[in-house]
Amino acid sequence: MSASEIFQPFFVGIFGLAAIWFGVVVFRTSSMVRSALALLFSMTAIGAMFLAMEAEFLGVLQIMMMATEMAIMAIFMVMYMMDPGGMEGMDMTHQKYASIFAGILATLGILAVVFLVEWGPVAEAAHPEEQTRMLGIEIMERSMLIFETAGVTILTAMIAATAIAIERRKS
Amino acid sequence: MTAAISILALLAGAYLVAVLEGWVSMGRMSITGPLASGAAMLGRESFVPKRRDRVFFEVAPPLLLVSALLAAAVLPLSPGLIVADLATGALFVNAALAYVMVALLMAGWAPNGAYAMVGGFRFLGQLVAYSMLIVMPITAVAMRAESLVTTEVVESQAALPNAIYQPIGFVLFLLAGMAVCFLPPFDLPTAPGELAGGVEAEYTGWRLAVFRLARLVLVVTVAAAVSVFYLGGWLGPVFPPWAWSAAKTLAVAALMLLAGRHVPRLRETHVLEWGWKVGIPLALLNIFVVGVMILVVG
Amino acid sequence: MTEAARNSRSPGRLRHRLRRLVSDAMERDTLRAFVVPGPDVARALGLDLEAAGMEISATPRHASMLVLVGETPESLRRSAAVAYSQIPRPRIAISVGAKNPSPFPEPDFSIPLEQKALERATAEARKRLAGKVLNPHKEEKHAGEERAEDSDGGHASREEPDEGDAIHEDLEDEKARAGKDSDEGHTSHKEPKEHAGKSEEHAEKAETESSDGGRANHKDPEKHVEHESMNHAEMGHDHMDHGDMGFMSMVAMTEGTPRSSDGLQMEWVAAPFGPLFPGLPGGLALTLTLDGDTVAESVVSSAVGMPRFEGMSGSAETFAGWLASLDPFSPVAYRALALRAFEDAAGIAPDERTTLARIGAMERERAASHLGWLAGFGYLTGHARLAERAGKLQLALLRAGGSGESDRLRASGASEISRLKIEVDKLVENLRRNPLLTRRLKGVGEIPGDAEASGSVARARGASADARADDEGYRSLGFEAVVRGGGDALSRMRVRLAEVSHSLDLILAAGSISVPSDSFDYGLSGKGSATVETPRGKASLRLSLRGRGVSGLELHTPSTRHIELVESVAKERELADALVGVASLDISPWEVLH
Repeated sequence: MSASEIFQPFFVGIFGLAAIWFGVVVFRTSSMVRSALALLFSMTAIGAMFLAMEAEFLGVLQIMMMATEMAIMAIFMVMYMMDPGGMEGMDMTHQKYASIFAGILATLGILAVVFLVEWGPVAEAAHPEEQTRMLGIEIMERSMLIFETAGVTILTAMIAATAIAIERRKS
Repeated sequence: MTAAISILALLAGAYLVAVLEGWVSMGRMSITGPLASGAAMLGRESFVPKRRDRVFFEVAPPLLLVSALLAAAVLPLSPGLIVADLATGALFVNAALAYVMVALLMAGWAPNGAYAMVGGFRFLGQLVAYSMLIVMPITAVAMRAESLVTTEVVESQAALPNAIYQPIGFVLFLLAGMAVCFLPPFDLPTAPGELAGGVEAEYTGWRLAVFRLARLVLVVTVAAAVSVFYLGGWLGPVFPPWAWSAAKTLAVAALMLLAGRHVPRLRETHVLEWGWKVGIPLALLNIFVVGVMILVVG
Repeated sequence: MTEAARNSRSPGRLRHRLRRLVSDAMERDTLRAFVVPGPDVARALGLDLEAAGMEISATPRHASMLVLVGETPESLRRSAAVAYSQIPRPRIAISVGAKNPSPFPEPDFSIPLEQKALERATAEARKRLAGKVLNPHKEEKHAGEERAEDSDGGHASREEPDEGDAIHEDLEDEKARAGKDSDEGHTSHKEPKEHAGKSEEHAEKAETESSDGGRANHKDPEKHVEHESMNHAEMGHDHMDHGDMGFMSMVAMTEGTPRSSDGLQMEWVAAPFGPLFPGLPGGLALTLTLDGDTVAESVVSSAVGMPRFEGMSGSAETFAGWLASLDPFSPVAYRALALRAFEDAAGIAPDERTTLARIGAMERERAASHLGWLAGFGYLTGHARLAERAGKLQLALLRAGGSGESDRLRASGASEISRLKIEVDKLVENLRRNPLLTRRLKGVGEIPGDAEASGSVARARGASADARADDEGYRSLGFEAVVRGGGDALSRMRVRLAEVSHSLDLILAAGSISVPSDSFDYGLSGKGSATVETPRGKASLRLSLRGRGVSGLELHTPSTRHIELVESVAKERELADALVGVASLDISPWEVLH
């Protein structure tokens, strides 16, 4: 067994546990900003998992995008609540019974998938540079229409949201 | 070994930038000045606001340092001297620098103080303005290099540095880089006259020393990124590669420090307005022009 | 880790060596000074702190030294004591030209108000700082500091010792946890009792916040509690328990909070910007209630204003000197005002030479005051080069042309003024061609059209209100009021820039600079009044003179009028714009009448 064969599962596991732990922290804090940043670090840990799994582009993209996204979320929290330093102490949980039920159900479902599926041998990952190239070609060839559609849709939504905001302000 | 040399080089760079900063702001060049300042800061007591978010308050300065170090890790000093030669290096620089904002947001929110919070607030607005101007110029750079690997980006500039090949991108990236390092006129989060230190205001003693060190390392990192992406990194005649890298990085850092002294701090609204209404169209134009040039000239 | 903590674990010799190292570093390090009442006052008094080797620090937390400049009222010294308690140890306090620094902690040493003494003091301060590292136990808490901390509640406890002192840390930790636990018991939030506690806690938080930037809390605490509890009483329930709500809704959570102009509801935070705020005139106590980074409300007052004049009486001989000592920004104008009122009361007129010399002195003060304002404005707006240039020019101008002794401008003095004029014109030209500065200031700090204003604020929006236009002496020198058409910060800056240049011309035309002297026959009696154009606008004084005594005083000062404009300038502006607007009014808190 080579070193990478030991280290790879180890790091994937560590980052996975970190992601779960930060996920738990999201609901254990007493402030929305803390929650938002805990969620960010959970996502970052998932990005690190991707890196450990040799999906370099995906990992870096995840780490980059989530920082901006979660911070934007955090800023809305701060804007509305101020509460610097998180001294207000608000509860981050709600609908407890429903969520416990949903959580248990989802865990069981995932475990079932993990153990019931015949996974087969591990496929060899392509070289990171090759991955990036393949991804680019995928986006520019076969999936171009999908990506373009998604992109235009998001842009439309952004413009629409802005337009709505402007209308409301006038009245 | 490579990592050790790189970190030493980075720290040496940070020290030189500190000397430069002292010279720029005080008008006196003092080689030992930052050393004395640093040691004195360590000797001072470091107290903290009583009501604060403990974790964020302590984590923010180290996080700022780590994000700068991570970004520096993918930037080559000379052909073999790079800590992590990632296949997505150019993108990784941007990913690591995104956490500068996270660190400042934490530093601003944690101490439960109005000045700091507004500072953290402002930097997020600043990020919204500058982040596209980091990614889009890098895209055009990667287009020419046909790679996101930073060493290949440098090699692609053997004939002509990107600063001349794509000057619009160069200027935009340099300005966005100054905004990342919150250097004047983009020093909205610290703003001495408006916020009395802003996000830095609550840090004292060794914590402040870490914060300041992180900021210096950040300046060096961004300057190194400009040098790698636009000035041909280690390429240059006569002198050894590392000397060219160092000289270019320091020159960019000096430019970044000096430029802000002659203009007032920008207004938050202007940073956003110009970033989106002028910066992004120009960045798109840059990508288009570079694309055409690659097709026509090759 | 502090040195103390590191050393406690190491043998004595190593500890000593480390101390030595840090002490050497302290002695070499740049002295970062927090200046009270402010660097602007220091400059107006002719002190060049940078030339003396100090770097001005924006917050006491990043400073190692506190410099108390000139005579200050007790309330301001109390703020200074709070600021001093926020300087990390080892720290040092010096007083420059202050007679009685109490309740400020006993300064480490006092020096007279002179540049030379200041330069010597820098070296001395470094040595003492280094000494305090070597003998840390000798630095005890100053009595005054403790008093100030007691009276200000939270401040003492804000300073918790660092990891070096584990017990304190744990105690603090316990307290924090206890507070958190009680907060996290969500159901209890519904109870009104809990709310009362909550709002009190919130008020306390706001107060601790106030001390944050090292500005003493000058906001009326009662009003604050009221404000905060009002918010919470209304929003409390929706705010805290969204257990019933299904999903966290921003609308529900912010219900009942004051609504801002854009219709969004957010929580408001009050923050003090003064009386020791680095970007505003020293002594101006401004409290802004921030709605995000927009100013929702502003409360302004002066921590150093003039006393009430009505019903006051005193010796006529010392009156002019006393009046002049009240405002460090324009002592000459106030001295001239008092003397003119005397002359009017006595029915005598000064000869032409005296008139011209006074004009010279007043115009020098005006130019220096405007340059000082420009330096402060450069600091506020982050224009480092402007702050530096304007500050240097102000100091050079204050020193140019000699003091009151010589009547005629000596040749060297005249050439110095001409040289300064060239430099000023260069600076003005540079600023005019700076598009970013223009964009930054345009439309900021607009004042309502019907607002009462005088001086450069009035002239900036097109009124040719200038007391100098009615003055015979000024007319003979070819005076022309500088008028611009605009009510914003940009036009105010332009008016002041043009006036600096014009004032220097007037000095050269007057040919002499002589601070008005008190050689006046006080035996006369009568009622008199006078109006003088101070650097900030029209100031007028009414008095009656009888038997070497002065009574029936009535004074109007421009800043008393302009401080009323602060609210309209700051309201619903982004924080930076609000501050620029307030600063552009060039208020001297020292001449605000209570």
